[in-house]
Amino acid sequence: MAEALVLKSEVRNGLGGRDSARLRKNGRIPAVVYGHKETPANISVSKDDLTSILRQHARTLSVEVGGKNETVLIQEIQHDYLGSTVLHVDFRRVSADERVRTTVDIELKGIAPGVISGGVLDQPLHKIHIECPAMAIPESIRVKIDALVIGQVIHVKELDLPAGVTVLEDADAVVVQVKTAQALEVVAGAEGANEPEVITKKKEKATDEE
Amino acid sequence: MPQMPKRVKFRKVQRGRVRGVASRGNTVAFGEYGLQVLEGGWLSAEALEAGRVTVAQFMRGEGRLYIRVFPHKSITSIPAETRMGKGKGEPEYWAAVIKPGMILFEVGGLPEQSARDCLARVAYKMPFRCRFVKRQAS
Repeated sequence: MAEALVLKSEVRNGLGGRDSARLRKNGRIPAVVYGHKETPANISVSKDDLTSILRQHARTLSVEVGGKNETVLIQEIQHDYLGSTVLHVDFRRVSADERVRTTVDIELKGIAPGVISGGVLDQPLHKIHIECPAMAIPESIRVKIDALVIGQVIHVKELDLPAGVTVLEDADAVVVQVKTAQALEVVAGAEGANEPEVITKKKEKATDEE
Repeated sequence: MPQMPKRVKFRKVQRGRVRGVASRGNTVAFGEYGLQVLEGGWLSAEALEAGRVTVAQFMRGEGRLYIRVFPHKSITSIPAETRMGKGKGEPEYWAAVIKPGMILFEVGGLPEQSARDCLARVAYKMPFRCRFVKRQAS
């Protein structure tokens, strides 16, 4: 869990794509603060400050909006199409005693003996939906795979969760398992149709009648 | 054998244009590492199969491969030394329409360096500039 960091912001009056592009050109990121049935505030934050906060894996922070500090949760981060540049951030107002629903990463710890003996580690669940206090969002849920042999599965219900965290996923969902290695087919069979079936193709009888 | 659809509504489709950038299918979703394309165009089913075979030969059953694109589009061509006209050509091959930013292949269950080596070999077979990407933290 990260400490509540403080992020300075400026209220932005110009909205829309052009103003946002101008802001980004000047090293600022457009953002919005909403929630708690208050008026949404359109703000901009420094790109460097935001990058630094994101690097620290902070989930809740304090944003200075018009001289007033608001505790917010990073609700959504929009990236460009390559996923490298932050375009916009949504901050959701939260109170310290509030429970929030969010997603956290699942972090695998250790090396599974099943992998050493030739199995393949399969992780269907990389993120997990949880409900927890806003100020105590875990950075990740750690799963020890030190004892995972081939054919063994770790389900959601078997996870060690920090205090106050409730999982919103299906309890029987598979988090990680070690499967038997199956070589990918290198040369696929040559049989099979050369052309797909055309579902709008007119029947031969109809053409004969014409 | 290269992939193609099992059933289609029409055998031939118009060429179309690849406009814009990928707004979906541009993040690593299933594996740990991916190959992201930086240019747009058509990716033939043969090229996709070549990538798959390359990964299969590299991994030898160690990790998992996810192919994120499918060749849905039939590409027609007119035979050589044919006069113009007489209608549209016959389907020649199948292709996936690729927008910049799309993830073509994902691998999982491999160490990062192995995944980099594996996807570098695949990138060499692709007709686009590609880059190696990792899964983004939430």
